[in-house]
Amino acid sequence: MKKSHLEELSTIFENDGILHQQEDMIAYSYDASHIEKTPEAVVFATSTDQICKLMQFAYREDIPVTPRGQGSGLSGGSVPIEKGIVLVLDRMRKMLDFDPENRLITVEAGMTTSDIDPIVASADLFYPPDPGSVTFSTIGGNIAENAGGLRGLKYGVTKDYVKMLKVVLPKGDIVTIGSKCVKHVAGFNLEPIFVGSEGLLGIITEVTLALLPIPKHRESALVVFNTLNDAAQCVSDIIAYGVTPSTMEFMDKTTINAVQNFKDCNLPRDAEAVLLIETDGEKNSAIGEMKNIKKAAEKNSFRSFSLAGNTKERDLLFEGRRIALNALANVKPNLILEDATVVRSKLPDMVRGICEIATKYNLMVGIFGHAGDGNLHPTFLIDKNDTDEMKRTEKAVKELFRLAIDLEGTISGEHGIGLEKKPFLEDQIGSAGIQLLCDIKRTFDPKNLLNPGKMFDFPNSTSN
Amino acid sequence: MMVQRQREQAETHLLRAAQEFQKCMQCGKCRSVCPVFKEIGNELYVARGKNKLAEKIVSGDLQITSRVKDAINECLNCKTCSANCPAGVSPEHVVLRLRWYITTREGLGLFKALVFRQLLWRKWPIIAGAVFIGFVQRILLDIGPQNPVRHLFPLFGFSKRRNFPRLALRPAQSLYPEVIPSKKGTPVKRIGYFTGCAGNLIYTNVVKSVVDILTGYGYDVVIPKDQKCSGTPVLANGDYEGAANLMEHNFNLFRRYDLDAIVVSCSSCGLALKKEIKLFIDNCDELREFCDKIYDINEFLEKEVQFGPNDLGRLPYRVTYHDPCHLNRGQDVRKEPRSLLMKIPGLIFKEMQDAAVCCGSAGSYCLTHYETAIQINNHKIKNIQKEYVEYVATACPTCIMHIQDNLLQHHSGEKARFVVEILADSLRKAGTI
Repeated sequence: MKKSHLEELSTIFENDGILHQQEDMIAYSYDASHIEKTPEAVVFATSTDQICKLMQFAYREDIPVTPRGQGSGLSGGSVPIEKGIVLVLDRMRKMLDFDPENRLITVEAGMTTSDIDPIVASADLFYPPDPGSVTFSTIGGNIAENAGGLRGLKYGVTKDYVKMLKVVLPKGDIVTIGSKCVKHVAGFNLEPIFVGSEGLLGIITEVTLALLPIPKHRESALVVFNTLNDAAQCVSDIIAYGVTPSTMEFMDKTTINAVQNFKDCNLPRDAEAVLLIETDGEKNSAIGEMKNIKKAAEKNSFRSFSLAGNTKERDLLFEGRRIALNALANVKPNLILEDATVVRSKLPDMVRGICEIATKYNLMVGIFGHAGDGNLHPTFLIDKNDTDEMKRTEKAVKELFRLAIDLEGTISGEHGIGLEKKPFLEDQIGSAGIQLLCDIKRTFDPKNLLNPGKMFDFPNSTSN
Repeated sequence: MMVQRQREQAETHLLRAAQEFQKCMQCGKCRSVCPVFKEIGNELYVARGKNKLAEKIVSGDLQITSRVKDAINECLNCKTCSANCPAGVSPEHVVLRLRWYITTREGLGLFKALVFRQLLWRKWPIIAGAVFIGFVQRILLDIGPQNPVRHLFPLFGFSKRRNFPRLALRPAQSLYPEVIPSKKGTPVKRIGYFTGCAGNLIYTNVVKSVVDILTGYGYDVVIPKDQKCSGTPVLANGDYEGAANLMEHNFNLFRRYDLDAIVVSCSSCGLALKKEIKLFIDNCDELREFCDKIYDINEFLEKEVQFGPNDLGRLPYRVTYHDPCHLNRGQDVRKEPRSLLMKIPGLIFKEMQDAAVCCGSAGSYCLTHYETAIQINNHKIKNIQKEYVEYVATACPTCIMHIQDNLLQHHSGEKARFVVEILADSLRKAGTI
């Protein structure tokens, strides 16, 4: 980056808000995906105004800008693939307004999701989306990636809670969209276009989120199955019974054994699969729902059904699921975590298909995930240094996405497209779909400077 | 030949670092727990960033620059990242290996080499230096916090604000014979005691407390005169050979005495003898036997000693407890010190918020990175103050030093003390020891 550019950046961000040494560029060259690229400068924003100035400067000088929160994204959304400037938002972490009467909270985008919890819990409220990265991912990043989580089945995902956004557009204009009102139809419904936009259309700096009252009662159960098919079918049956569990988590045999090897969580090693199910709400309804769940399980020849009697027992039940990824990570040197997702009724087909793919390519795969919403995490356990295994994994991943699309599912349930899944997006939405995305991007960012190279290839861009 | 060997050793360190960081999934969870990152806020200083630096050094894409050294030295070895890592990585081992790699290639620097060689070769210059400083402190610093002598601190690399504990005028080890007999006739067991340099030269009252309690309960206590530094500071500063020599020395020394157990009153020394020694001495029966004999003093007392109903005198203290990293995450000892304190009649135990978060001391880190160390410690002080206590008890000399320093700077009246000191107070009050 030119010296004059750095000087101009330091007038906007002052000296402690800008980095450009080689080592720092390495530290900001990656996120939780497998791709890295060093930027030319890193800036730390503390206000919307600074970001507005930054984008005016970037647009004048044709410099790409890649926004970033804590860099916990799994699809490469915050990797500066076209170099340029990385804009870090994790220092914008103020709580701006808490409005318990209207069940709303307004925060800066750099606040982590779990920072919100203690504030709103004081008024007996909670913010439902709970991605696995809840303690470290920023709320801005969650919105940009439309993050999901364990409670998605009953409570939905990030997009269901975004009421208002303050956004800096690529050319530097600041807009506030949405409303705090429950009903609001003034202008186009613009909030959803930024939710899941992966930082391509604007930089989210402030957000107002909807909150819900904390459920009064919870019932938790562990159901053990002798066949994968029974477990997957049970998920469909539970939904068909009209029950909406708040959580319905799935673990297969490989995952169970990885967990047991890692830490004894009382899971049966010889079971083919387990489901961890929770219902919540008013006490009687939560208990009633759990009874129906047991009926659905009985239909699918479950092996055992254990209900947690208190918080301690509940924590023990969920411990295994909580450490599943840790445990799998210890089986082989590396892993590739996917999030292909189907509708719930197709879950048995999906699980079968994944197993067939793993057998075909002679790969180890652990399957766990949010069975209740059809969002599975098939996790390929691999050794990156084994080139043959890596080639087989690539083919298997490709086939996995094909399978999800063929089952009318999606290639990403919650991680986003970014760089990792860019080659597969057209298979799902078609070339006209890609064209529409490009047209929308052009309207917001004609020079393609904001987070370029992600999601799809912009015509005339140098990325590939 | 020497150069060849050193080069090979350096490569081994890199290889070991690589084995560790390759497991990193780059999820970023370490960002939410690292005390240093929380203050500095630059990815370069968090475990994930250091892992990435290590990867680039191993692949040859990055040289050892001053900024790389800076990043690698910004680590408290508090092990919080390891305890929370979903992939089971121990980033502090990556850091240690890189420090070793760098010093193997570049040497330690004159000052560190001088001090560490002294620890290794002979004790008297260190002891003489400490006693001399002890005298000077009493003569010059007793005038108070406004003392103009403070203006000289920066010459030695210390902050002017800093409060130091007084060094002892007589080392604790010189106060006792090598074998201190049980006060109860025939000894129950023969216990070795590794006092650590801080116990010997600064916190002599801790040594006295440990000796009084153990001999009072019928144990013979052996303090081998030739014990040397446990190796922790040497290890943390990247002196692999020095640490190996010290570990071997203490291992061979303590084996010469016929001991049933060896107690340690410093959390870092305990960790070194219990676990870190395995990095330097080949896994063998003798080593396993040795490591199995090492107990933190709190762990030993809680496990071994039956305190009778009238043994403990009433102490009207309100006390909170700070978990030293090397005791809590390092040795999995967290219940025992609390349980000992709660045995004391009249003592009100108050659990503070974030008791297990590092206080920022980290041995020589708070000498070399004082400003960050104090920023980290400020959270600790706030949590102590919220509990309205007289004492903050802990089990690590450098934690005490750092917390006490910052308490004074905050004009906060709480005192930092070892758990065994408070326990000994109570036992003495009842006339048990």
